[in-house]
Amino acid sequence: MYRTFLSWRYIVARRTNWIGVVGITVGVGALILILSIMAGFLAESRKTLRGSLSDLIIEPFMIARHGGSTLPESPAPLLEYVRADPRVAAASAHLTWGGMIVHGNKLDDLIRQNPRTHEDGFVQLIGVDATDELATTDLGLALRRPSRLGTTLVDDPEDPFAPPPGTAPGPYAWIVVGEQLAYTHSLRRGSEINVVTVMPDDDGRVRDANRKFRVAGTFRSGENEVDKARIYIDRAELADFLGHRPEHIGGRADHFSQVLVRLVDYPRDGLQVKADLARDLFEAGLVRDPDAGEVKTWEDHRQNLLGAIENEKTLLGIMLSLVLIVAGFTVFAILSMLVTEKRRDIGILTALGATPAGIMGLYLMIGFWDALLGCIGGGVIGVVAAINIDPIEQALSRAFGYQIFNREVYLFDHIPSVVDPGGVAMIITGAFVCTLLFAAYPAWRAARLHPIDALRYE
Amino acid sequence: MSTAGLDPTGATGEVVLAAREVRKSFAIGERSLEILHGADLALRASERLCLMGASGAGKSTFLHILGLLEQPTEGRVILAGEDAWSLPARRRADLRNRHIGFVFQFYHLLPELDAVENVVLPGMIARGGPRFDRSAARERAENLLDRFGLSERLTHRPGQLSGGERQRVAIARALFLDPQVLIADEPTGNLDTQTGERGLDLLLAEQELRGLALLLVTHDERIAARCERTLTMEDGLIQADSAHPVPH
Ligand SMILES: Nc1ncnc2c1ncn2[C@@H]1O[C@H](COP(=O)(O)OP(=O)(O)O)[C@@H](O)[C@H]1O
Ligand SMILES: [Mg+2]
Repeated sequence: MYRTFLSWRYIVARRTNWIGVVGITVGVGALILILSIMAGFLAESRKTLRGSLSDLIIEPFMIARHGGSTLPESPAPLLEYVRADPRVAAASAHLTWGGMIVHGNKLDDLIRQNPRTHEDGFVQLIGVDATDELATTDLGLALRRPSRLGTTLVDDPEDPFAPPPGTAPGPYAWIVVGEQLAYTHSLRRGSEINVVTVMPDDDGRVRDANRKFRVAGTFRSGENEVDKARIYIDRAELADFLGHRPEHIGGRADHFSQVLVRLVDYPRDGLQVKADLARDLFEAGLVRDPDAGEVKTWEDHRQNLLGAIENEKTLLGIMLSLVLIVAGFTVFAILSMLVTEKRRDIGILTALGATPAGIMGLYLMIGFWDALLGCIGGGVIGVVAAINIDPIEQALSRAFGYQIFNREVYLFDHIPSVVDPGGVAMIITGAFVCTLLFAAYPAWRAARLHPIDALRYE
Repeated sequence: MSTAGLDPTGATGEVVLAAREVRKSFAIGERSLEILHGADLALRASERLCLMGASGAGKSTFLHILGLLEQPTEGRVILAGEDAWSLPARRRADLRNRHIGFVFQFYHLLPELDAVENVVLPGMIARGGPRFDRSAARERAENLLDRFGLSERLTHRPGQLSGGERQRVAIARALFLDPQVLIADEPTGNLDTQTGERGLDLLLAEQELRGLALLLVTHDERIAARCERTLTMEDGLIQADSAHPVPH
């Protein structure tokens, strides 16, 4: 009873206590704000990481092993099977291969690094069926996203491989390149590039091939590795380039390396569909081994990078907790001062019947009020600031005449921020525990004061 | 060893507070210095007992031991029929809270609380018993302060009160829980004669009205003259015993 009353009175009557409260407020508020923004950025990075992928990736082992059965070369049966599942929204077959962009014909030109970026000319050739791909992956977004490097987008993102209007017809197929790749090689719409590659022949020898393509435009996925090395091309064109025989309907070559699958509800069905497909596709003879990871989720595929992101978040949280320790230390210093200053009060309370445990409770209670007021203040400020970080940043930028958050660097035009209630609860619990731990020592010292020594003090 | 404090004038009345063979030593550096050498005392209900003695004789130390604030090195203190120093700390704190009222030379009020809150404090600290009723307690404290002529000072903090007013607030606080024993260590020692006189009148009037046992330390012969019994402390022992006629 007197503990609550007196501790509150000490808090209200003595201004130094407010330093502790403000310290906790700032600590809790900053922690909530920073972790919310960090969580927002991480969520955006996750999206980027998924970026050029889709929810599931089916990658059958194509190479026939000794005595093993041969899987179909065409993706058609696989696509048909996958699309029959009602949980699947769309699927797209990829044919992937590697190559090099060559300027000129001399070996010197091949070896010499590009003076502009010191990048080599290695490229990743992705053969897709445009309609399927746009329905399955975020390529449509990447084709529409304004270029940061001033390169030209495709004219019609719905039909990226179509000849841009107003260009002279030519013999070469149209392709779409990553914006960094276009920038490095100074490619504009209509530019011709020469791609060379090598491939095994039917009789086991290595054969080379080269072909010219024309640039229809660029895309920006936001993923560095993709934007600087990837070329999208019509799948039949790529198969033709690689020398596959056009053996199917309409004379189109029909080979594939993977099938990307978009689900109706990935968070809900992802793992189940993965398991079902791995089993069913094996039974249907469309993959080689049900347990070899031929069917993966995009997270399986990006495991190392996703793990790194989670790691970063944990590390950041731990480092930022130092703020709370500093705030707790302020409380420690203030309470220690208070105990020394209030020796006489402690003696009086003992003379009036307070026990050492009661005195300890009184001082812990002061720490409790500090923590409570600080957490309420910091919690409200932190959450409100995290939700409104965008207008706040804009107001600050206007006030200082300097763009604090440069939106052009990122794939998003606002500061991402995700307030996680669990995280907020953890921060507040942490602040409470920290403050009470730091209050414990001065409180214990107060309880151990000899009442007469304290009373003699005049 | 003295038995002077034990059997006074053959007065009757229940003994409410007693000291038996109390010794107290303080460690001074490596050595230990004995201040009390086996002091005895018996305080009876409604009795007004005065303790005198030279400065440094050990009066305050003895009072603190009797008031359960300082542990004796040896000996016993019996309060309300219990051997107080052999009880657990909680029970002892409870005894102190309910049975003993302290009045100190330096008032010892809490500076952050106003007069009423200071007076109510022992009630807030009290454990067990009926639940603490805030408004009833306030009313009780206000009545006490009213009687002491402080009705205009109820919400003043100690810093806004004169020495005499603070002393009266301290007396009201000591009386708040109706203790059996009032212990006062030179209660007027820090006040001018006239103000001191007024505070003492008040204290003695309340003591008589409530039938409290009062143990009073003073240097003032005139104050001693108003007590029924005077003991002298010398060399850590209770030396002499003189009975006075009750002055009224
Ligand atoms: N905590 C202590 N440590 C050492 N000496 C003490 C302590 N408390 C009191 N003393 C000594 O005990 C003696 C008696 O003190 P006190 O009881 O205050 O005397 P009085 O109240 O009669 O003037 C003094 O000499 C004082 O210095
Ligand atoms: Mg003294």
